[in-house]
Amino acid sequence: MDDPRVEKIAISGPTLASMIQRFSTASGAVDGLLFGHVTQVTSSNLSDDSDSPADSNSPTFVATITGFFCSGTINSFYDSTGTVESGFIGRFLDDSLRTHQSSFIGWFSGRRRTQLRPSMREWLVTASLLTETKYSFPVKNAPEPTDFKPCLFLLLTSPLSDQIIHTHEYRAYQFHSSTESFESKSISIVNIGPAFRGHYGSFSPNTPFPSLSCELRGSPIRDKGHDKKQGLKDQRELDMCAEGFEIGRLRGLVGSEATNYTENLEDLYEKMLVKMENLARMVEDSSAKLYEQEKHNRELRYKISKSAVSE
Amino acid sequence: MAADNIPPFIAAQLNYLLSHFPLALKVEQIWSGGINSPAFSDRFTLVIPYCLEFIRWDVIYDVECPTAAPDVIFGPEDENFHPFHPRIKSPKNCLSNWDNKDPTRLLTLIQYLRDQYGAYQRKRVGDVDDDRLKFEISTILSREGIEMHMSSGAEKPEEVKFAVPLMDMNINKMVPGCPWRHSQRIYLQVMYPVEKRYASAPSAPRLKLVATSELKALFSIDDVKLPSWLDGMCLAEYLPNLEESLKKQILEAVSLIDVRRGFIEALACQFGRPLEADPVFCRKATFLAASGVFTFLVHFLIPTQFPRQQPALILQSSQHFNSHSQRTPIKSGPLTDYPWSPRWEASQMAERISEFLADEALNFKRNCNEAQLQQ
Repeated sequence: MDDPRVEKIAISGPTLASMIQRFSTASGAVDGLLFGHVTQVTSSNLSDDSDSPADSNSPTFVATITGFFCSGTINSFYDSTGTVESGFIGRFLDDSLRTHQSSFIGWFSGRRRTQLRPSMREWLVTASLLTETKYSFPVKNAPEPTDFKPCLFLLLTSPLSDQIIHTHEYRAYQFHSSTESFESKSISIVNIGPAFRGHYGSFSPNTPFPSLSCELRGSPIRDKGHDKKQGLKDQRELDMCAEGFEIGRLRGLVGSEATNYTENLEDLYEKMLVKMENLARMVEDSSAKLYEQEKHNRELRYKISKSAVSE
Repeated sequence: MAADNIPPFIAAQLNYLLSHFPLALKVEQIWSGGINSPAFSDRFTLVIPYCLEFIRWDVIYDVECPTAAPDVIFGPEDENFHPFHPRIKSPKNCLSNWDNKDPTRLLTLIQYLRDQYGAYQRKRVGDVDDDRLKFEISTILSREGIEMHMSSGAEKPEEVKFAVPLMDMNINKMVPGCPWRHSQRIYLQVMYPVEKRYASAPSAPRLKLVATSELKALFSIDDVKLPSWLDGMCLAEYLPNLEESLKKQILEAVSLIDVRRGFIEALACQFGRPLEADPVFCRKATFLAASGVFTFLVHFLIPTQFPRQQPALILQSSQHFNSHSQRTPIKSGPLTDYPWSPRWEASQMAERISEFLADEALNFKRNCNEAQLQQ
């Protein structure tokens, strides 16, 4: 069966902007995965004309990109022949799909100063993605179960000529497995433009946020072994931060012991602040190290590039 | 210049490709896709001859990822050309196990892509719903090296082009001391308009002879008169006559090299040893001549149709210069208005030219003097 044809691809302004940012700050070409959902919308093209075509009530699908993962390089999840390494995606998907309610809907490629049309490799990777049925996911709001494959492809480039005033170009495609070809799709950027208010009604952004389930202990609803294990781990991390201050002890804030108790609590907060500061310093240090390492890698790469080819 | 900054691993593959590809490739543009300085040039446009035209493919390397195979962006009209397929896994896929230190890899890739492109175009042409075309294809497909191209644009009517290599003869081998690196061929370009399904009678295709560019030193295809295309004719009927007559003309053209050589040798008896002479095709020779103290060069430009057509002479003064335009020596225009008969012996031709030049030298000297005075 052919994939449902998407009417348009929606993306929020910040998501697109951060994608472009990742692409334009990377030293070379980049690729990555796109996450989001596909929704069936009821088309409201009601017409007074009784002769209106019969297929006007065919389902309309809208794909929404809510998140992405940028690898910072090329050939991240496929090899030089364009064959997708399902192990890589699989590992990634397990993690991302559990934490936020979005599906793997396609991928993107960003390459500087090239033509704005899919390349040989991009066609291969997309076609290769669709040969795997395990990435299918259900369409939201569909009256009858419809499956969608990660057939979307977003291409980011920068213009070949320096004379042009815009700095980035992008185009979105849906790949049709029946014809094995890309079809260019319009992108609507949610919350940009004069008609943005209307968008909010139909748009539900999904922020990826780690699920730190606090009220897990004793909750009988979650009984899956894996979830439970993960939950216990989260709890342990939380306990470590709280340093013995369980939720239950907060009860001491009211009543006769309150004065001592506040002191203890203030103490705790202070420690937390120090920890926070340490954390900030660690982040700063590690990003400095990261930068150094990147610089070193780049030098190594240049050395490879410069090295004599055949000894 | 950007071209100077090609990383060695790309340069090695590109140079190997350009020097070993059986056809003459060109690199149209080389540029960089990086933001770090020094910016290495890691992408270029290849101009590849196909079906007597050129296709342009962008080859995109990534200097940040030197071990990755290059990517290719095909022309905008070839969006359905897919040389590799994810379902067809071949152990000989030239992209697998890409080795950036192997200079032959890019050549293998481009060769494969071009072969696939030929197959893709042949399939497109085969899919055209036109009875005459289907018949033509079935009768000439067995010819080796035939290429097809289907052109369709929004404004242009659909058209199918064939490039038919003519005569299975190795012209390079026929020329002693041949300097050509690429094999020289003559092709017949046949352009069929795609007919409507029920057109009354198929119109004649447009025909044109095209030769590889270097062949013109030996043989000019502009002088060939194509046999006419009769109504209801097909290519398989048309080609044998054309090839027969071309073959004769090529053999004649090769034999004419020796006639020209004899002429240059005869000139040497009149003018002394040539300063310069084209030793392979004998199309050019330059001699030093003098009239009193006035010394000048005589350039002989000998046409492929020699001796039926007489050589053009250009005189160049050794003593007069144009003061503007970087002090180039003063030259005459090509002279052909001197007595000539193709039936003369080579020695007589040389003698008559020598006599003509004795007079013409005075004219030329006067012209040179006047030209210099005016400045």
